[in-house]
Amino acid sequence: MVQDLAFGGWSGILIMIVYGLIMLLIGFLTFLKNKNVRESNDEYYLGGRGLSVMVLFFTFYATQYSGNTIIGYAPTGYRMGFEWLQSVTFMILVIGGYLLFAPRLYVLGKKFKFITPTDWLEKRFRSKGITILGSILMLYGLGNYLLEQFVAVGQGVAGLTGGTIPYQVGVVFFIIIMLIYSWLGGMRSVAYTDTMQGIALLIGVFVLLVGSIVYFGGLPTATDYMQAYAPEKLGVPESNGIVGWFSMLLLVFIGASIYPHAIQRIFAAKSVKTLKKSFTAMVWMPFITTGVVFIVGIIGINAFPGLDTFESEKLVGMMANVIASQNALFYWAMVLLFGGIIAAIISTADSVLLTFSSIISKDLYGRYINPNATEPKQIFVGKIIGIISVAILLVIAWYPPATLYQIFVLKFELLVQIAPAFILGLYWKRLHTKSVFVGMIVGTILSAAMTFANYTPFGIFSGLWGLFINLVICVVGSLLFTVSRSEEEAVDKVIGL
Amino acid sequence: MLKLKKEPIKNVKLWIVLGVLFLLSVPWYLPVGSYKPIIFGLPYWGWIIILDSIAISATITYAFLFLWKVEGEDTNTKGDE
Repeated sequence: MVQDLAFGGWSGILIMIVYGLIMLLIGFLTFLKNKNVRESNDEYYLGGRGLSVMVLFFTFYATQYSGNTIIGYAPTGYRMGFEWLQSVTFMILVIGGYLLFAPRLYVLGKKFKFITPTDWLEKRFRSKGITILGSILMLYGLGNYLLEQFVAVGQGVAGLTGGTIPYQVGVVFFIIIMLIYSWLGGMRSVAYTDTMQGIALLIGVFVLLVGSIVYFGGLPTATDYMQAYAPEKLGVPESNGIVGWFSMLLLVFIGASIYPHAIQRIFAAKSVKTLKKSFTAMVWMPFITTGVVFIVGIIGINAFPGLDTFESEKLVGMMANVIASQNALFYWAMVLLFGGIIAAIISTADSVLLTFSSIISKDLYGRYINPNATEPKQIFVGKIIGIISVAILLVIAWYPPATLYQIFVLKFELLVQIAPAFILGLYWKRLHTKSVFVGMIVGTILSAAMTFANYTPFGIFSGLWGLFINLVICVVGSLLFTVSRSEEEAVDKVIGL
Repeated sequence: MLKLKKEPIKNVKLWIVLGVLFLLSVPWYLPVGSYKPIIFGLPYWGWIIILDSIAISATITYAFLFLWKVEGEDTNTKGDE
């Protein structure tokens, strides 16, 4: 995406090393302050359920906004024009999605000491099928999400250093740093580094905006140009654009808030007050993050007209390149920008990896493979399987298989299939366990098949079709089949608050 | 023990307001292709979407702060931050 950035070289290497060292330092200090961190799942995976407002806010922020928010969203704005204003609304709706379940889940998480999202599914349904299927869907989605971050960090590093550091070296360098600090302090390290990384991301986004406005002219210049040459990107979109827009908002509202690493942050909050404050701050961040990146994409229309889809993917690199060549100030500002992009990628990857390990170590290993394992043993197994998974993902990142590539694209389409079980289960006592299981399977297969076939009837995304069928099966099944009185009483003990 | 006193999902008015704002957040109700007047470089309908998004953020903020109430012991003794 940004490989052909000509500036950089030694300054790129310097900032990369400085970043790496700061992250290591944060991990090491966390370790010194909390030496018992690897004794229990609660401490390691949830930071002892003690994250304060600022740390919780930044870890939500740096996790939700990945490197793609800058290097991928600006080109999308470039191609779609003002229709991409939806990126502001959908990031707001992600937080709105928490209104559906976070208040209740937080209370239950405290009461029953949930560590992973699967803990909730297990407590609610007491069904091996749902627990295992839910875990697999989450692991699959998270694995592919992680893969995407690895690919992005390599390209980011290669771009930042002008190719001085090859793609692979960059990826390995940051993965090792990430593993070390995660191991040293678990969730605490991840959340503290997220704080630093979130700030770097914000600085990066604003530096890019200021540079673009100063050098290429602001929004009025860009819209003047669009009036003459690209009015279709300026006007109200046509009906298929509208349908795509609505289905994006809906999918994100229901689906994005149940990202497993986001749910773990609900469990990690120190109190309801901290959680509320973090959410209310998060709900305003889209305006100064995706909103700013959107403006950069629009300015790009005027700055680099006529790029095709493939070329436009490199938009941020091309803009940064031109801005950096202006003077020393802008040069260093752009070095900061790329540091911010890498920080954004790493902060997403570390959170995903920690959640990934927790699901393996606690939900699969600790629950089914070796139920007698102590918590330190579970954490250890999680780390080892974490490394093995990272190694496999790296091989896939470097040698992408030619034929099965699409199985690595599925993320959200699969993750979203746990939403009915997850959300309806909180409120509906008569929700029928077997119907939930069947709904999850059918929804998953349908979404996957439609994604492979690239089939999106009425312009509505495949994940949403799968979710719709899944939901219908859950609801109709629960209305048709009765839940036994003893089962209903058992459920009432869990969710009857 | 924590007890939920109020939860946003049960507030019908909240979902009516959010539902209306959601419908207004996509410009299906405006003439296709129109963009004039342009104010500070943003077409008129872009302002509508931004204002609507601000209203959504404000509504969600209100819901988190005032429609979500818990009672009971809620401080973590282990919390170090």
